[in-house]
Amino acid sequence: MAAVAKQAQQLARQLFKLSVVDSVVSTDRVAGVLAYVEKHAPANAVLVLKAYHRLVSVELAKSEARVEHAGAVAPAALTAIAAAMTKKYSRPIAATSHANPALLAGLRVRVGDDVYESSVSGQLAALSLSV
Amino acid sequence: MLPSLFLAFVEAPVAAAHAAHAAAAEPGIAEKFGLEWKYVVIQAISFLILFVVLYLKAIKPTIAAMDERAHQIDAGLKYAEEMKTRLAATQQQTESTIKEAQQKAQAIVAETQKTAKEFADKQQNEAIEKASGLIAKAQEAIELEKKKMLAEARTEIARLVVATTERVLAKKLTEADRASYNETAARELTGV
Repeated sequence: MAAVAKQAQQLARQLFKLSVVDSVVSTDRVAGVLAYVEKHAPANAVLVLKAYHRLVSVELAKSEARVEHAGAVAPAALTAIAAAMTKKYSRPIAATSHANPALLAGLRVRVGDDVYESSVSGQLAALSLSV
Repeated sequence: MLPSLFLAFVEAPVAAAHAAHAAAAEPGIAEKFGLEWKYVVIQAISFLILFVVLYLKAIKPTIAAMDERAHQIDAGLKYAEEMKTRLAATQQQTESTIKEAQQKAQAIVAETQKTAKEFADKQQNEAIEKASGLIAKAQEAIELEKKKMLAEARTEIARLVVATTERVLAKKLTEADRASYNETAARELTGV
């Protein structure tokens, strides 16, 4: 079972490498990979597709700046954040807006596993921890 | 018994001869007193014989018995003296032994008392150390518990303050306030 999962993981990595062009996940490549898997139906196709989906999701998350906010956010602010993150990670990163009233006020930006926050709830939480 | 028969047998002829002789001779002083030499000799011989017989049959055994008795008495006295000496020596040895035993007993008692005191002191010290350790641990545990309670109280108070603040801010913050804060946050984050 472990050997089957390992083989599926290796095939998923190979397919993922084929899907990335210039450090960006290519939609066309992803479509081609899916067509290949559908046509040839490799062994343990479900496991391969699950692993491939996880890798693509992680890579897409690295290309996305998820901006959580409480209250209105100006489009210019989102653009500025995207530009700043693109510059920081040296790859194109798009900003997406998601409302989160729990922040009370302020922003929380998540790029991949990195989180940047400047919010009232965050400051209150820091204050709570520091007491 | 035997000498008396012998005398009676000898005296009869002698007395007859003596009577004949006395009638023939002039009586001297000895004759006047009735002294006959032959009787004297015979008496002497009889006495000697009696003496010899008495000596052999009575005196010698008596002397021997007395000597033996004296020897026994001497031996008894000597034995008694020896026994007395031995008794004295034995008493002295016994007293010495008793004294030595008493000294040993006193030494053993003293050693036992010393050992018991040392053991008691050791037990007491161990008990004191154990009690001190327990007290120290209890104080440490109390201190830790106190710190833990204070930390928990502080955390709980902070949590309550933060929760209250969040509720207040959620009610009091206006959209304009949030927008303004968001702009500030965006400027802060773009400067990362």
